[in-house]
Amino acid sequence: MTRWMLPGFLAVGVIATLVLIVGPAIYAVSLSFYDAPSLTSEPQWVGLAKYAAVLQSAEFWNALWNGIVYAGLSIVLQVVLGIGFALLLNQRFFGRTLLRGVAFLPYLLPTVIAVLTFKWMVDGSLGIVTITMDDLGLPPIYWFETETASMVSVILISVWLWTPFVTTTFLAGLQTVPQQLYEAARVDGAGPIRRFFHVTLPSLRPILTVIILLRSVWMFNKFDVIWLTTQGGPLGATEHLPVLSYRKAFTLYDIGSGAAVATLSFVVLMAVVSLYFLLFPMEKAK
Amino acid sequence: MTKWTSKNGMWTRRQTLRGVGALGAGIALSGLAAPALRAQGRPIRFLNCETGKDSLAFFAKAAEEYQAKTGIEVIVDSVPLAETFTKITNGIRSGQPYDVANVGFIGHVLLLAEEGQIVPLNELTDAHEWGNNILFPIDGKVYWYPFDYNLALIYYRNDLYEENGLEIPETWDAFASNCEALVKGRRKGCLFPIGSNSATNWMSFGFMWAEGVKLFDDNWNVLLDNDEMKPKAAAYLDFMARIYPTMPPGALQASYGEMLTNLVAGTVAHGSYAGRVYEVAERDNPDMAANLSVMPYMDSAGKQKAVSHGYDGWVVLNTDNTGPAMEFMRWLTTERLVDFLHTAPVHFQPARLDIYDNDQWRANPLVQKYGDAIETMRGLITDPSVVLTSIDTQGPRPDVRPGTVFESFALPEMLQNKILRGMDSGEAVDVAAAKMRELID
Repeated sequence: MTRWMLPGFLAVGVIATLVLIVGPAIYAVSLSFYDAPSLTSEPQWVGLAKYAAVLQSAEFWNALWNGIVYAGLSIVLQVVLGIGFALLLNQRFFGRTLLRGVAFLPYLLPTVIAVLTFKWMVDGSLGIVTITMDDLGLPPIYWFETETASMVSVILISVWLWTPFVTTTFLAGLQTVPQQLYEAARVDGAGPIRRFFHVTLPSLRPILTVIILLRSVWMFNKFDVIWLTTQGGPLGATEHLPVLSYRKAFTLYDIGSGAAVATLSFVVLMAVVSLYFLLFPMEKAK
Repeated sequence: MTKWTSKNGMWTRRQTLRGVGALGAGIALSGLAAPALRAQGRPIRFLNCETGKDSLAFFAKAAEEYQAKTGIEVIVDSVPLAETFTKITNGIRSGQPYDVANVGFIGHVLLLAEEGQIVPLNELTDAHEWGNNILFPIDGKVYWYPFDYNLALIYYRNDLYEENGLEIPETWDAFASNCEALVKGRRKGCLFPIGSNSATNWMSFGFMWAEGVKLFDDNWNVLLDNDEMKPKAAAYLDFMARIYPTMPPGALQASYGEMLTNLVAGTVAHGSYAGRVYEVAERDNPDMAANLSVMPYMDSAGKQKAVSHGYDGWVVLNTDNTGPAMEFMRWLTTERLVDFLHTAPVHFQPARLDIYDNDQWRANPLVQKYGDAIETMRGLITDPSVVLTSIDTQGPRPDVRPGTVFESFALPEMLQNKILRGMDSGEAVDVAAAKMRELID
């Protein structure tokens, strides 16, 4: 390796980061200080007026709360179910490899396909779920017809789509837990529940920390599921900050407000991630 | 071999002059010279939003024909209608503007016109007679070439009407009674979207227009909650709340696809859409196609009819290629318009009135087969007593304000406040009016 290679690689990385991430981010933030009714109109400098308007609007706080509810409940369910499935798939039984593959399937599906398929399955007239329930004499489920039902539906879809990722990660973690720890726990008389809380969970702690962090960021920024199912409705019940930002920028063509919402969303996420690192610091490599 | 440098390694004066000349010619040829020079031979960039299979095939063929005829290449990009405006404005911002674009929202036409991004098309439109409320001129200048009306009509099952001895409803009460009478098993009485989407904006407010509700006065003040309009809008909400129980679950999420599928499958007795229902029924369920008829929206008292339109048209952008683009549009709208309309023969309801008497257009098998429905549709765009409007075309003149109301889904939310939250109708109207004021002030 020549002495120029390391600085060269670093320079490429820095330039790529500047061009692809820092530059667009600065541009997006700068848009929030302007008023422009379309992408082609002459923008007018308005300073912090867009932020003031956004922060004073009920829809921003509603969207922030919805984002916390959506991300929070989705992550809790994904983690609980992910650990449960991982423990199950870590047992020795016939067809385990096949089941592991099947369990991972939803994660392989493109979100748009999964969501649209779900919507058609529960369609009020022609959905296979609706027809089956009707055949069984059961009343129809109004999946997206009320504010609460819509939030529950988008959370369930998200859990179905992304629990396999959590399962697979925990499964990989479980396979690194030394068996001697379990044997020692058994010798000490620990049952399955105590073994889980005193051996398994502490061993998975580093993975748990990373998983919760990653999924928090992903779910808080998750746009596709909500946009494809409810577009934030009904009456803003599932509208979170990414949807609000998109709606303002690209349907109402208030580019400045859209950028202000996106910037505020970034700030909120940064604050949450910083707090998280403060409370749960990553372990240093020994 | 040419000796390129002088003995001392420097360029000679002649070589320098030659080099400068060659560089100038190179720049001119590479397109960095004057815009007029750059535009010579440049392809026409066309943004299409009609993404049906036949429409796409038409544009591919038309581009080939135009290039064979004139030598000018036409590059056609196709995107869904909802993405049009973003695509157009991104093209302008990036320095690669489209020369012609398909637009389905008059608010976008007005924004582009105000910014000088599109040119008037009077030289193409003045020669023809048009249906009501479609050209949207600004100071006498017409900035787009509308090719269809996309009237939202009420479809009903005429076989069920006959079986049950029902009559074509003239009032809201009669319509609601028919919906209630036709609920049987999995078949529901009607489907009108109530979600915050463009389908609701287009298909669910015809009843309100028929009742005489107007959103703005001549000075762009919001009228919705004044003494005259509020009782009418509230009555409309009461009527929608009455027919909601006859709808299948999912009216909140119903959009174009769900509506089309329910009508063609026959799972609802009434629904709304434009002529595409006939085309899809012919393809997927021909028996059902014969059972479907259309009617306009009616008011509560049987005095007034209305339809909501979802028009489409083309704009020519103000680029360095506007001249050739105009020539292409002249060719498209004179020699190929009927071929284009035939790619969705019942759905593309012509905006130009002469088309209805055009032999080539009338010769299409589907136009012939659904001649009665098409005559009904034709009457709705020429009869001045029929209210022909939409949320985004409300007001005394073309303006972006009603477009903003359209995009904000203030009126679908009014429906949801009534139907899903059980809000008092008058209060729901007040909330919608307040939101409209907030948006346009």
